[in-house]
Amino acid sequence: MKIHTYEKLWLVASLVLIVGFIATITYGSVALGITMVGDEEPTIEPDEISDDERFGEPRVEQVGENEYEAYVIAQTFIFQPETIEVPADSEVTFYVTSRDVIHSFSVVGTNTNTMVIPGEISTLTVEFDEPDEYGIVCNEYCGDFHHTMEGQLHVVPEDEFDMTELAVEADDEVEIDDDATFEVAVENRQLEALETTVALEIGDETLEEDVTVDSQMTEETTFTVDSADLGEGDHDWTVTVDDYEESGTLTVAEDLEDEDGNEDGDEGDGGDDGDNETDEEGDTDE
Amino acid sequence: MSNTFVDAYPKQARIIRQAFLTSFIALAIGAFFGLIQALHRTNILRAIESPTYYTVLTGHGVFLVITFTIFFLVGVYQWAVTESLERGPVDMRFTWGWYGLMLTGTMLAAFAILAGFTDAIDVSADVLFTFYAPLQGHPIFYIGLVVFVVGTWLAGADWFRTWLAWKGENPGKRIPLPTFMVLTTMIMWYISSIGVAVAILAFILPWSIGIVESINPTLTRTLFWYFGHPVVYFWLLPAYLMWYILLPKLSGGRLFSDPLARVVFILFILLSTPVGIHHQYLDPGIAEGFKYIAMTNTMFLLLPSLLTAFTVVASMEHGARQRGGKGYFGWLKALPWREPAFTGMALAGMVFAFGGFTGIVNAGMNINYLVHNSLWVPGHIHTQVGTAVALTFMAGSYWLIPQLTGNRLVGRGIALFQVVLWFVGIVIMTNAMYRGGLIGMPRRTAEPEYEGFNYEVAAGSVGELNAQVALGGTLLFVSTMIFLALMILTLFNGESEPIDNRTIPAPLSGPEDSPPVLDNLKLWVAIAAVLVVLAYVIPLASIVSRGGLFGPDIGPFPVFVEPVSLLIETVLVSIGW
Repeated sequence: MKIHTYEKLWLVASLVLIVGFIATITYGSVALGITMVGDEEPTIEPDEISDDERFGEPRVEQVGENEYEAYVIAQTFIFQPETIEVPADSEVTFYVTSRDVIHSFSVVGTNTNTMVIPGEISTLTVEFDEPDEYGIVCNEYCGDFHHTMEGQLHVVPEDEFDMTELAVEADDEVEIDDDATFEVAVENRQLEALETTVALEIGDETLEEDVTVDSQMTEETTFTVDSADLGEGDHDWTVTVDDYEESGTLTVAEDLEDEDGNEDGDEGDGGDDGDNETDEEGDTDE
Repeated sequence: MSNTFVDAYPKQARIIRQAFLTSFIALAIGAFFGLIQALHRTNILRAIESPTYYTVLTGHGVFLVITFTIFFLVGVYQWAVTESLERGPVDMRFTWGWYGLMLTGTMLAAFAILAGFTDAIDVSADVLFTFYAPLQGHPIFYIGLVVFVVGTWLAGADWFRTWLAWKGENPGKRIPLPTFMVLTTMIMWYISSIGVAVAILAFILPWSIGIVESINPTLTRTLFWYFGHPVVYFWLLPAYLMWYILLPKLSGGRLFSDPLARVVFILFILLSTPVGIHHQYLDPGIAEGFKYIAMTNTMFLLLPSLLTAFTVVASMEHGARQRGGKGYFGWLKALPWREPAFTGMALAGMVFAFGGFTGIVNAGMNINYLVHNSLWVPGHIHTQVGTAVALTFMAGSYWLIPQLTGNRLVGRGIALFQVVLWFVGIVIMTNAMYRGGLIGMPRRTAEPEYEGFNYEVAAGSVGELNAQVALGGTLLFVSTMIFLALMILTLFNGESEPIDNRTIPAPLSGPEDSPPVLDNLKLWVAIAAVLVVLAYVIPLASIVSRGGLFGPDIGPFPVFVEPVSLLIETVLVSIGW
């Protein structure tokens, strides 16, 4: 076959270029560790997602000192959880699956990007060095409101990150001279034990108690306040644990029975008299 | 006395005109939809509700990359076969038969798509050109696609039949280059379109009718991309044919090398198909190793395009020197820049070279994660099929339509303006798309700006990017309309002088310089089959063993039943969206 000299040179140069491209890409994957989504995870039926230990409750879990796992569901037209919060300087593995059609889980402006196919679980391990806030979008057309499907990824400074949950159960009303009780539950979903102080402010009083909550445990603290010290009327109260806050109002009355026929001294357990039950997720809301 | 194609082959000219007519109607509708999208997603003019955007987008994709391109392909290929074998098909009724099938298929799919605009008919197919299950369109949409593809298969069979008849009359002769290009393209098409045929016939169609309950979305998606990458070469190769056959002649010279042209087309048979997984770098359920293999194959697919760049530029230089061009680069001035057919193809080639490099970025699997499904990708598509192919087709039409009608081209100066306008429009639109993609703006969305975050634009602003997309899109629409107006005027033009001579000069280095093995099509089919088996058997087996043939109980998500979308709307409103 007759090939012109220039053509031969061009052919050789082209092959060198191609091999060069392949070499740089290979270097990126092998030496720099830029890996792709693979087939490590077994399949999952979309109907079984709700019963799955990971996806039943979409969330972030701590699995190592600076290692976290995020279980995320994409469905028309939302991500669950809608906001994912992780600490800076951590390594997060995302497990993402779909409840219905093909979506994507794409952290805007980054290479954290995967297709989400029903039946499959996408896994991506990402290192977050600096605090930042990112948008998450679905970039695969998934139906007529595809353009509304978005979420958030907050990488917060390490010292501001925790996985604490605060829940307070308190009386709404007590008869004067009875004790008002505040049951405070502090849950710690991090691996390290949480040492903190639970504080209750009511009227002029401040009650404090130091607690240590072990990993994956919930510690309960009960504050008792003598309503006689508060006096008759409405009293605002606040329970604080680190950055978390719960508040409500306690009514101290002369004679409760006259007002609504309730038993006096009701502890409020399982009561139907509107216990002030609150529960705040681990998300900070700054 | 003119010597045009229509004088020599009036019957063949008639069917080619018909194919071009169908192609141009699709171009008109697709371009109009493109304009709506460019103005909608940039929030400049919203003539439709955002959910309707996806009906428009489906139409834009299907009408342009299936109907416009492939009807043009069959027209050009019928011309190339007839001209180079110097004979018509064995039986013209068969030829009209495949054209009729392609048209029927198009009408069915078009009906399913366009019915999405009205609630009066309970039919729609807002599933986009890729129709990823479990999104489900109306069965008519899938039936239409299948009928269309069968039509193209028969077109290929017709050209093979014509060639075999010619071979009988011309024993021992080398296959003429244009026919060689047609046959190799069709071999590639047969190998690759099996993927989409299996995806539709075995899985998606029975599932859309309700015969089977569940589907394996990874499997149908993989079968789609088995076809989805070669289909881009199915759009591109008719443009290549025109660059190899027409462009050297238009430059005033002849093709540099016939043997290299054959090698290029053989490389496309071999390498077009075993690369489809490079569209699935981000898919779960496919091992990284298969993705790596697809990446290396894809990189080697650069070779035929790099060889084409050499041959085409060398042919142009040869032509320019024949016209008196001098110097290292001075010859560029001697090219016929006032000729719209030449200038259009040359500009298309330039854009293609640029788009090729963005394609390398896409092919690089680790960089792909940054741009996958971002606006970068339609930027790439619009430089490639939207310009390398579309602009070459339009420019080629300025030369071909007079040959097919016997009518002189109307408005040569306007035609020159039209191709330059396209070039300007595409540069403006795609540069903004590429940049938008790099900041993470998604493709395929009615509203790329979100409530919860803002894009971080290094230079410029989102408003400026939007303005460029809208402006570029508008220029492209205007350019398309000018092109179509000139085509209509030429069709009804009574004048027949002057029309370029239709003879194609012989290449500088002819087929005698290449070994006859290049023409051994069976050999290339066999090697291509081996490569396809190597690249696909294990991934497909793995996908089936993971999710089963019909998937892990994945039901449909119909986008054609109106109540479902109403329900979703209600739910969305109730949860405060």
